[in-house]
This record gives sequence, C-alpha cells and structure tokens, in this order.
Amino acid sequence: MSEKRSRKPAAIILTVIFLFALVMGAGPGSLLIAPPGSEPPLWFGMPALYLWAVLWFLVEAAVIMIAACTLWGKEKD
Amino acid sequence: MLSILAATDLGRAPHVVLVCYLLILLGLGIVGFLRGKATEEDYYLAGRGQGLLVTSLTIMATFFSGVALLGFPGLVYEHGVSAMFLALNLPVAGAAVYLLGNGIRKLGKARNYVSPGDMIAGYYGGNTIRVVAAVLGILYVLPYIIIQIKAGGLLAQTLFGENMYNTGAVALSAVTLVYVLVGGMRSVAWTDVLQGLLLLSGAVLAGIAVIASMGGPGEFFAKVADLDPKQLTMHDPAESKWNPWWILTFCLFASLASIVQPAQWMRFYAARSSKILRRSAVIFAVVLPACFLFGVMLVGLGGRALHPPIDSSLPLTAVNLPEGLGKADQIAVFMLREELPVMLGGLGVVLVSIIMVAIMAASMSTADSNLHALGGVITRDVYDQCNPDASQKQRTWVGRIVIIVTTLLALLIVYLGENSEFGKGLLETIAQFFFLAMAFSCQLIPAAVDILYIRRGTRAGAIAGMITGGVVVLATLFLAGNDTIQTIKRIIDLGGFALAFNVIVFILVSLFTSKPDPEHIAAFKRDLS
Repeated sequence: MSEKRSRKPAAIILTVIFLFALVMGAGPGSLLIAPPGSEPPLWFGMPALYLWAVLWFLVEAAVIMIAACTLWGKEKD
Repeated sequence: MLSILAATDLGRAPHVVLVCYLLILLGLGIVGFLRGKATEEDYYLAGRGQGLLVTSLTIMATFFSGVALLGFPGLVYEHGVSAMFLALNLPVAGAAVYLLGNGIRKLGKARNYVSPGDMIAGYYGGNTIRVVAAVLGILYVLPYIIIQIKAGGLLAQTLFGENMYNTGAVALSAVTLVYVLVGGMRSVAWTDVLQGLLLLSGAVLAGIAVIASMGGPGEFFAKVADLDPKQLTMHDPAESKWNPWWILTFCLFASLASIVQPAQWMRFYAARSSKILRRSAVIFAVVLPACFLFGVMLVGLGGRALHPPIDSSLPLTAVNLPEGLGKADQIAVFMLREELPVMLGGLGVVLVSIIMVAIMAASMSTADSNLHALGGVITRDVYDQCNPDASQKQRTWVGRIVIIVTTLLALLIVYLGENSEFGKGLLETIAQFFFLAMAFSCQLIPAAVDILYIRRGTRAGAIAGMITGGVVVLATLFLAGNDTIQTIKRIIDLGGFALAFNVIVFILVSLFTSKPDPEHIAAFKRDLS
C-alpha cells in the first residue's frame, strides 16, 4: 500500500502533463499558433500548426513511455 | 470509393498480391484451428495466452478500419492541418489500453469472463444490465461488419471490373468467415498480425512515396506552405467542426469508445500478462500516431498542394474536384497511382498493389474482429442466459452460427444496397449508425471506470446512465436537422456529449439506490490488485 502511495505524486504529475499536452495540442492551445482567419506562420519552412501537432504528440508519447517504465512497470503480474 | 483505380494500368500485380494475401489468411486460419483446443475459452480468447506481437498488432488492426488509409488523408485534403490533430487521440487510446485493459484482463482471468457483459453484470448483478451492455456493443459491432464487407466488394469491383461487386463481397466474406469459424480468436489475431503490419507499412510507405515524388521534404513543405491559409490554420467553430473544441473532445472520448468496444475488450481478456498490455500500450501510443503524422496524413496535404479543388470556397463534390478524383477520400489512391509507378516503375506497381491490399486488410481485420466479438457477445449475454446448462461445445457452436448468420445477413444487405431502392435506403440507414457506433460504445465507459477504479456506483445507476446515453445518441440522429443539435455536434464529440448525460444520471441514481454488497466489492478489489 505504501508503495502505491509513494507513486501517487508521480502519477498525478504525469496525468497533468498529459492532459496539458492534449489541451495545448488538440485543444484550444492550437489557437495560440494559428487561429482561424490568421496568416499561418511557418517554422523551419514547415506549417507551424503541423509542427505544433508533432510537438504535443511527442510530449504525450514521452509521458506514456515514462509511465510505462516507472509507474506501470511496478505492477505485479 | 476506389473506382478511381479502375483506370489504373497496374497489370496483374494487384491480382497476384491479392491472391497471395488471401491464401496466407486462409493458411493462418487453418494453423490457428490446428493449434487450438475445443474449449469456449480457446475459441473466444485463444486460451488467454496471447503474447506481445499478437496482442499489440491485433489491438491496432482492430482499432482501424479502412478509414485509416483512405479517410484520414481525405480529411486532411479537405480540411487541412487541423484534421491532422485527430492523430492525438491515439496516445489517449494507447494509455487506455493499459489503464482500462489491464484491469479488464485481471478480472477476466480471475472470473472467467468472455464478453464485456460478463464483467459489467458480474459486478453489478442481474441480467438487465447485461442486456443493455450487449445492445450497446451490438450497435457498435453490426454496422462495422456491414460497412467493411461493402468496402471489400468495392475493392473487388475496382480490381476485377464493374460487375465483380457481388462476387468480390461474397469471396472476401467467405475467406473471412472460414478463418473466423475454424480458428476463432487465435486465427483472427494471427491474421490481424499480418493485417496490422500491412496497415502500418502502408501508412508509412504512402507518406514516403508522396514526399519523395514531390522532390523531398524541402520541396514538399515549400508547396504545402503555399496552400490557402485556411488549410494551415484551425477552423472557426461557427463554420466547421474542425475546431479545437470538437477535436479535443474527439481525442478524449472517441479514443476511449474504441478501446471499450466489445472486440477490444475481448482482446484484453486474451492478453497473457500485464507486461504484454503495458508494452502493447506503448507501441500503440508511439508507433501508430507516428505512422499517421509522418506518413499517410502528409499524403492529404501533398494532394491538396498538387491537385487542389477547382474552387476552394465550394464543397468538395465531384464537380469541384480535379479530373479523376471523385471524392476527397480517394486522394491517397489517386496520388499513389499517379506517382509511384512513374517514380519506381515495376517496383512502384508492386508497392501500389501492396498499399491497396493494405486498405483491404484494414477493412478485413475490423470485420473479422467484430464478427468474432459478436459471436461471443450473443453467446454469453443472450444464449447462456436462456440455456445456462449448455456445454462448452454448444456455446462455441452457437457463436459460430451467429457468425455465419451475421455474415449472410450482412451480405444480403450489401447486395440489396447495390441492387434495390429498399436496400439502398437500408444501407444508408446503417451507414448513419456506423457514424454513431463510437458514440454508443462510449456509453460503456462510466461502468468500466466505476468497476475498475471507483466502485461507488449501483446497478440501477449504471443501467440508467447507459440507457440515457444511448437515448441521447439516438435523439441526435432523429433531430439531426435541428440547429441546436448541429451547433452542439460542431463543438463537442457526440459520444462525449451523450457521455455527460450518462455520467450525471449514473451519479444521481447511484446516490439514491443500494450499492453492491461490500464483500462483493472487496472481492473485486482483491482481483484487481
């Protein structure tokens, strides 16, 4: 039980980062980059909105990998 | 859908690739049969012993239908980069593979569950909730089977000629039917391995081919940068559903709905261990979105740059699309047919053929998984309740009969849809239910989350919540023309909208009705630990 409790803060932090990434990427965070009716910016010659999607996908993927290696990895079979 | 390919001169390559593919599927079906045991658990869950390769690929192949390789590039072609954010639903689904799937696996193993209804009724008790869960599952599964069989017929028509629609649908259904019938889950999952690999490689290959054909990444993005600004910005909620609010709710709820649908649920029961599901979740969350964001979705952007519609301000109907492109979701095939054979000669023809078979594989893997799941759901949630003393052999045969009858019924509907006015109307209605399928499946989430994590809900609450959610989904279908409903559907995913009603009713009714016995709850908690 105490091990479960010790994992709780890490679980909360990862959940918050994951949800933040979702809101920033798929959600209203994308309006910061290319809102409707705006002139679309380019980053490194690529549409900024595409790179924005890739960036937040990478954050989500990293959170899941960290969770799998640390929190989920401790689950008994 | 794929009639565009009829004009393609690909020689015999598609025929050869298709025949090889179907023979391999049949071979895998037979090997699955020879390796299987004559038990219900083996037929429906492959003895609960599936390893990493099979579990990860069968979950991915079941998740995606033919929509993956056709629909996504089509959406990007039509709506621009905003549609690419749909790929962000995949990490959510990946996380759910472990966070929901592992608990489902543990309970299934401890209590010999086969269908979703087994677990939900096992926890809350009673047959009413089992029937409600089964109906929601069937509303997901049935339209998927019918639409995928239709897609198979269209592909055959494309490859072999206009009059081959019925023959193609029958032949492809027959192959699927044989390996589902003889090998059960083992054969379905093994064929999903092949189909999943084809799906992933098809997605990556399509992207690489189009970028290379446009002169490499630099040239590709230079052409994309010149697109109409609307293609490179988010959309206004007042005009289109490709706005951040709808996309966010889609990523949150549609992903979970696809993970708790009956075929996936049974795959969690079939996984051998927590470790297998943990690794499958990571593969799902990382590999799949990467294949889409860096692969097939870029085909839609490249297509828009090279073959824009005649008038960007008008809807993308056939008259407004470039010559040879009948619908937006044909853009991937259109681009590949144009570019690959020119770029790579004979190898390009083979690659186009493989990608076309990958499209069919995506449809078949969805059809076979759903057919198999339907057999399990009806056997466990309907037949077993009427005949609780049935032997394992009888139960397995009932599942097989359900699979045969459903396939024949689906074929009849697909045939009538092509050959009669009544059938056409029926198929259109089914297509509407196909679009609602995830919203129905979504209504299983509160009960699943309550059983796995919260354990404060009641049977009455769960039933009331699921029925309310299902009714809200149906109401939006009947009130589709209403302005308010249209506005709601533009800013929130339908499944998520109905889920909100489901959760509110679930909580309210649970507050005033009696909870399951504490001993019973404690036993579930122990099984989950």
